Amino acid sequence: MTERRLTPEIIRRFTVDGEPWLSCDDCFARVDEYVDRMLADPDYDSPAMSAHLRGCGACAEEMATLLDLAARDAGVDPQPVLPRLGRWCQG
Amino acid sequence: MTILGPVSTGTSGTAAQAPTDWVRALSVPGPEKEAALFRLHELLVHAARRQVARMREQLRGTADADDIANQAADDAMVAILGKLHTFEGRSRFTTWAYKFAIMNAAVQVRRQAWRGCDVPLDDPDLIVERAPTPEAYAQGRDLATALATAIAATLTPHQRRIVVALLIDEVPVDVLAERLGTSRNAVYKTLHDARVALRADLRAAGYLPTPSESP
Ligand SMILES: [Zn+2]
Repeated sequence: MTERRLTPEIIRRFTVDGEPWLSCDDCFARVDEYVDRMLADPDYDSPAMSAHLRGCGACAEEMATLLDLAARDAGVDPQPVLPRLGRWCQG
Repeated sequence: MTILGPVSTGTSGTAAQAPTDWVRALSVPGPEKEAALFRLHELLVHAARRQVARMREQLRGTADADDIANQAADDAMVAILGKLHTFEGRSRFTTWAYKFAIMNAAVQVRRQAWRGCDVPLDDPDLIVERAPTPEAYAQGRDLATALATAIAATLTPHQRRIVVALLIDEVPVDVLAERLGTSRNAVYKTLHDARVALRADLRAAGYLPTPSESP
């Protein structure tokens, strides 16, 4: 049996609140609308989308690029919506 | 009928014109369709390159970033043209289109990054990390110990292997799905269910706020 260390960062990953449930496929289906609506209205939220993006590094890594591109197309600064999207989107 | 105009849909730093109605431009045979296909491909290559650039640290020397981006854009083009009738206008067309190129590029980068690497699917011994200060150590150790206990007691061996691979070994969800012969959805569902169970355990033990105490 190999050993793994439970660092504070690892503990954070284990205890992410991923509710309400949304699948990766449903995230992909909705992510374009989610991004454009957030850029149009920084107060807009979809709890299921936000939860999935907190909990799924791969979808968040993809959404971050989509947000950059869509923001540029819309002529909008994406910065106001980045903090609540979690660490994956800030890089 | 003019369907090409200097509309600022799609930024890639190139000067090619974008249609005002992408779906129609891409559907009606003729020079407008050819122009729209060309412009769309440019945009998809740009989007795929941006994703590859975001993930460049994961790519090892032998992988060709441009090859990945071009292939991702080509595959996205096929997917988009096949799904054109499903575009409902709930976002800009370009935002909708980019996501196909972005996902293809990301999946390819992750696949390349893990090519030839073993995915350790074991059931490990979890060690509680020492924090830098005595106070942080005491606080963090309690939570870490509670989490280690919950992982051992509450999760099934299958859940443990999945969450350890994803969250500690940092195997991407799509790579893990491929190795296990299952879907990204199924792997993420296992992770989600495991987190729900762990959070319930930690909440019951007083390590996480109950929903009514949450801000
Ligand atoms: Zn996902």
